[in-house]
Amino acid sequence: MADSAIDFARDFPGLAQDVHGVRLAYLDNAATTHMPNEVLDAVRDFETTSRANIHRGVHTLSQRATDAFDGAREQLKRFVGAGPAHELVFTSGTTEALNLVAHGLSDAGLGRPVLAAGDEIIVTALEHHANFVPWQAAARRSGAVLRVLRPDPEGRLHTEALARLLGPRTRVFAVTAGANASGERPPFEALLKMAADAGAMTVLDAAQAVGHEVPDLSSLACDFMAFSGHKMYGPMGIGALVGRRERLERLAPLRLGGDMVEWVTEQHTTFAELPARLEGGTPNVGGAVGMAAAAKFIERVGRDTIDGHVCALRRYAVDRLSELPGVRVLSADSPRTAIASFLTEDAHPHDLGTLLDHRGIAVRTGNHCAQPLLDCLGIGPTTRASFAIYNTRAEVDRLAAAVAEALRALR
Amino acid sequence: MNEPIEDLYQDLVLEHKRAPRHFGKLAAPTHEARGRNPSCGDDISVQLRIAEGELAEIGFVGQGCAICIASTSMMAEALYGKPLAAADALRNRFRAVLTGDGDPDDAALGKLVSLAGVRRYPNRIKCALLGWHALAHAMQQPIGGTAAPTIEEPEA
Repeated sequence: MADSAIDFARDFPGLAQDVHGVRLAYLDNAATTHMPNEVLDAVRDFETTSRANIHRGVHTLSQRATDAFDGAREQLKRFVGAGPAHELVFTSGTTEALNLVAHGLSDAGLGRPVLAAGDEIIVTALEHHANFVPWQAAARRSGAVLRVLRPDPEGRLHTEALARLLGPRTRVFAVTAGANASGERPPFEALLKMAADAGAMTVLDAAQAVGHEVPDLSSLACDFMAFSGHKMYGPMGIGALVGRRERLERLAPLRLGGDMVEWVTEQHTTFAELPARLEGGTPNVGGAVGMAAAAKFIERVGRDTIDGHVCALRRYAVDRLSELPGVRVLSADSPRTAIASFLTEDAHPHDLGTLLDHRGIAVRTGNHCAQPLLDCLGIGPTTRASFAIYNTRAEVDRLAAAVAEALRALR
Repeated sequence: MNEPIEDLYQDLVLEHKRAPRHFGKLAAPTHEARGRNPSCGDDISVQLRIAEGELAEIGFVGQGCAICIASTSMMAEALYGKPLAAADALRNRFRAVLTGDGDPDDAALGKLVSLAGVRRYPNRIKCALLGWHALAHAMQQPIGGTAAPTIEEPEA
């Protein structure tokens, strides 16, 4: 498995470079993955043969661009198991997708907002701020109550705890498929089902899972799922909200303007059908093409192959890091995660990150946009290594050696 | 670039990180402010006892990286008992060195010269300045005043 990963690294030109005189070991994949040649080629091919605005002209390039955009949508719908009852809306990324849901349920843009005073929204404490702050705003806007599903001291979520929060006024349940700050992979299938059975709309932040586990909408009790291109070997600035069409129909649009309307008079506007209604303005067509090419890349390599590789690397990293004195890996026993987030006694993550960078190793340090989780766990900032198909056990060995060296220097 | 352990984490810096000077709360502070860096979670509160135009006492508490703690510790040591005007002057000189506008061999910086290497690490400059921002805000904020006591550093 490690050998095949070395071959993959050759397909990723962004990785073929030295940092501070050492070969780059890129271990910040939970923030952004690199793109393989086939994705870069797909974007370049679109921009050089088909670049034009979509749905606007009768000329040849406009039709090619429209076809490319619609084709990307169909490719990505198949990728996540969306069926005839689903639709996919392109966004700038997971953050915009989640804002579109939270805003769309609490805004009066289509008449009466879906959420009303006294309704209840449940989010979990494992969330990235992108699946937390929009719900705070939605609660304020609508008068709904925000409830938080907290983890146990080990950072795990439990269905029993959710059962205690669900009630007759629960309208929304939002959960992550993988906590970016701790690496915890919650039992989101069971949590979503329990919330849906209780009558809530369900929202899944799949940003961390889509690059390896790839949640399958056809088997999930999920109304809305958000994910990003740049965490699945695709371009930055493109993402998607995919969900049940009847639920998407109820969202007030976040962006009003061109391409999302049916008919406009001086005083009144009627809106276009989905998906155009939720895609106001010129979309990132090149990004959508690249994101679809990234989905094809994942299918070609095999999602099981990628999932197996990154989860095995993570387990190896947990073992190697846990051997070091004063190092504790969060959610060490969590299944199916590509993230090893760890605490170091007497050494601050920022100092560690600077020293690792000088060994050519890219990691993320800080609070990872997840302050409520760190507060819940009673910890401060962490250092996070996260893995992709092109990473190797040798890079994990380099990480462990460099962490040991840095801790000796900083203590 | 030198190894960061020579350039950024000089012995003096690590020594101040391990044993920060004037770490702890004052018995009778007259001014205080808190500085936080939301991207890394660094959180420093600076307390002052200002008397007759001087920083009669300085104390700080909180947590941060080695650069942040060492810089705040050296700041407290350098300014303890000094006139308020000296605090502004030293802060301006130190900041100028970090942002590349001042001479890193400025003799007036004293021990703070050991942090001059931070100027080669742009994403660490705000670590070195967090305690100084808190000091500047504390000097403007008598305890019991109406000003908000917390400043937030913008995300990098």
